[in-house]
Amino acid sequence: MYSASAEVSRPFLIGGAMKKDYRIITNNPLVREKLGQDHDVEFYDCSYEDVLKKVKEEVCKGYKLLTHPLSGSVKPNETPYKSVMVSRKSGETDLMGIEIIERAIASVSKFQFKSDKYAPQVYEDFRLIDYTLISSALPSADAW
Amino acid sequence: MLKVVHYINQFFANIGGEEKADYPVEVREGEVVGPGMAFKQAFGEEAEIVATIICGDSYFNENLDKAKAEIIEIVKKYNPDVFVAGPAFNAGRYGVACGTICDAVQEELGIPAVTGMYTENPGADMFKNKVYTVATKNSAAGMRKAVGSMAPLALKLAKHEKIGASCQEGYMPNGVRVNFFEEKRGSKRAVEMLLKKIAGKPFETEYPMPTFDRVAPNPAVKDLSKATIALVTSGGIVPKGNPDHIESSNASKYGEYSIAGVDDLTEETFETAHGGYDPVYANEDPDRVLPVDVLREMEKEGKIGKLYDKFYTTVGNGTAVASAKAFAEEFAPKMKADGVDAVILTST
Amino acid sequence: MRLEVGHIFIKDIQFGTESKIEDGVLYVSEEAVKEVVLEDEHIKSVKFDIARPGESVRITPVKDVIEPRVKVEGRGGVFPGVISKVDTVGEGKTYALKGMAVVTAGKIVGFQEGIIDMTGPGADYTPFSKLNNFVVVCEPVDGIKQHEYEAAVRFAGFRVAVYLGELARELTPDETKVYETYGIKEGMEKLPGLPRVAYVQMLQSQGLLHDTYVYGVDAKKTLSTIINPTEVMDGAIVSGNCVSACDKNPTYVHENNPVVHDLFEEHGKTINFVCQILTNENVYLADKQRSSDWTAKLCRLLDLDAVIVSQEGFGNPDTDLIMNCKKIEAEGVKTVIITDEYAGRDGKSQSLADADVAADAVVTGGNANQVVVLPKLDKVIGTLDYVNTIAGGNEHSLREDGTIEVEIQAITGATNETGFGYLSAR
Repeated sequence: MYSASAEVSRPFLIGGAMKKDYRIITNNPLVREKLGQDHDVEFYDCSYEDVLKKVKEEVCKGYKLLTHPLSGSVKPNETPYKSVMVSRKSGETDLMGIEIIERAIASVSKFQFKSDKYAPQVYEDFRLIDYTLISSALPSADAW
Repeated sequence: MLKVVHYINQFFANIGGEEKADYPVEVREGEVVGPGMAFKQAFGEEAEIVATIICGDSYFNENLDKAKAEIIEIVKKYNPDVFVAGPAFNAGRYGVACGTICDAVQEELGIPAVTGMYTENPGADMFKNKVYTVATKNSAAGMRKAVGSMAPLALKLAKHEKIGASCQEGYMPNGVRVNFFEEKRGSKRAVEMLLKKIAGKPFETEYPMPTFDRVAPNPAVKDLSKATIALVTSGGIVPKGNPDHIESSNASKYGEYSIAGVDDLTEETFETAHGGYDPVYANEDPDRVLPVDVLREMEKEGKIGKLYDKFYTTVGNGTAVASAKAFAEEFAPKMKADGVDAVILTST
Repeated sequence: MRLEVGHIFIKDIQFGTESKIEDGVLYVSEEAVKEVVLEDEHIKSVKFDIARPGESVRITPVKDVIEPRVKVEGRGGVFPGVISKVDTVGEGKTYALKGMAVVTAGKIVGFQEGIIDMTGPGADYTPFSKLNNFVVVCEPVDGIKQHEYEAAVRFAGFRVAVYLGELARELTPDETKVYETYGIKEGMEKLPGLPRVAYVQMLQSQGLLHDTYVYGVDAKKTLSTIINPTEVMDGAIVSGNCVSACDKNPTYVHENNPVVHDLFEEHGKTINFVCQILTNENVYLADKQRSSDWTAKLCRLLDLDAVIVSQEGFGNPDTDLIMNCKKIEAEGVKTVIITDEYAGRDGKSQSLADADVAADAVVTGGNANQVVVLPKLDKVIGTLDYVNTIAGGNEHSLREDGTIEVEIQAITGATNETGFGYLSAR
């Protein structure tokens, strides 16, 4: 289903720091570039919708959904980029997470697809916005 | 002048009540009958009723395909700008007939249609998302008000004008959200709604939350080897020939059939009545939808106590939730009385 | 807390040699206001323009809309923690320039959105078409980062608003409104028997172009808290949010929060308007849980009978909204929620990204996916370069005849979720 293969960067354990209990599933190269070294970033070369579907697969396997898949007000199919945080350890089924990710996937089709219609510079902006959105979750995620 | 064809039942045509419900399709060209008078008045100089079609409620519902075809032929002949049916108020079979024929006129002839009925009329639940259905009172005492909404809506449809939001036009919410400007800003409306809610007065939400019936699961069956298990399906499996004529969509009934002594459903004995999926595989082996064969095996192996010797079936294809609920309310107590411990529901 | 707000009606704006307000006309010296903007070294140049109601003018892409105000009596100054010191505001006397706004426009990111049409069908959808708008278009210095540029434009808007507000300091208001709230015990004694009502405002708080500041604090780093509704009238909440034009809250909406105003209308008559509760809309789900828990807890601690909850933005805030509603209702406090819808162009899709039966009283700002055709207007302030790429637009949006086909989500304030507008849907 996912033609892209995952390139997974594992976190370095700097100075004996605790290994973080989350992973970031993304199709945003900037997130991989900026966070890949210190965080568990799973990069897929795929669409926004496919990132959400990948996340759903993970949540169905028992991993916990940690950030809202519709983070930010930039609409699906407007921005091509999406980064979502899920837990590293699987456990009991995250029912709320399943509900949220399913509704998010359902909402994608409400928006006209135009992710491929921008000038190159605009993609950089989209990457940056997605990066700041997922970054805003890091302080809370790291507090655990 | 715009042309209108009006559909009413035998009762509103002054032919008779239940005893005349088998009255066949009749057309009265150029004649305005019963509630048509009120419509004529409301249409004024803008539109005229070129024909009135009368049909008994039993006749329509018991000869569905035939009645539909007859009426479609008539409507086609007059080629109206809009088709009006009812209002049916709380008359259930009349409401279903109005919805059915409006839907057919729209689908088959591309002529816009409008009907009206009480919100609890089963026809409303079945057709309000397909046909503009004006909400009326539950009796003919609400005729004036019903026509007051139906006539302007019919004119707009005839003129292909933009149809406003449900609360403006008076039709039942139909799953299509339509924007419009309110007279008061949102915050003011919120405060007013809050005051009503605080006071325990009725208020109307602007966006009803999609609700799903949540059924709390029963405790697990303690000992399957002693349990009587029943099969119920919305996949339309029926004895060959569909003896009770369960509709292929929008089912208005369910069937109760015996499987006593049946070990395997075969192509020769059973089939599906469902019109919403490719029936080839279900017809080839109806066990694929209603797994009698597997349960018989489990019965023999002692994994389950017993397979209940009847099954209940309907077609889930577009069938109103209210109808499905009513079916189960009828047959569930029978199963309970017969000592059924658990039911396997299969869908398609 | 008691605040008098003096209204000074501005019926026109004109450029002049000297900045002043005379007979309801605001004269702006371009020289002087330019100096105010260029204080910031991140801004290379700036252009000003005036757009009046009914003129054939389109302003786009709009970043923020701000109402000029000045504090003439009482503690602190407008926009505390942002322009003025962090002193607590909300009491004394404040003057507001009514009938006008400062509009900041210009491209910060390539998909910048926000359209204000001063005439035609687009004008019906934006509340800001009814104002005399003083438009500020900033050009950044080369090589600047997006977040620096965003901050520079955000602050430039506030500085201009404060500069213009100051012109009213010595004037006599055309009308004065008085807003007063009480302490918990005081309120119960003064307004015995009246239902205790609060306003729960959810603030967008997710990252670059998605932030809101309360007394200068980034809202995503806050716990749900209590604020006096008169504080927001002095600019205690400002917008750093530039995404989702139709349902973001520009600073103007915070200053003139309609829920605050309409609850004050009933205050002392049918309700006791106790306070405003601020909560955020973070990306991290546990933050959402924590903030909504906290909000419900505050409602309980304040012994409230009912609240209105408003939302900001698209998608994930639906989850905050439903969490807040559910938890507050569970405390026995009645709720009305205000939202908008994304029901698709045909209006047939699920409107919200979350739902619950507890949300039985909903006010909607309409379907943001509705398509509208905007006519060609004579003048554009800003640029049309981005119309094809903004939310709700597509590559055919800007048509050959100059008309624009967009979803109303591209129009500033079209489906505002504080109930600022008149649009609704059924």
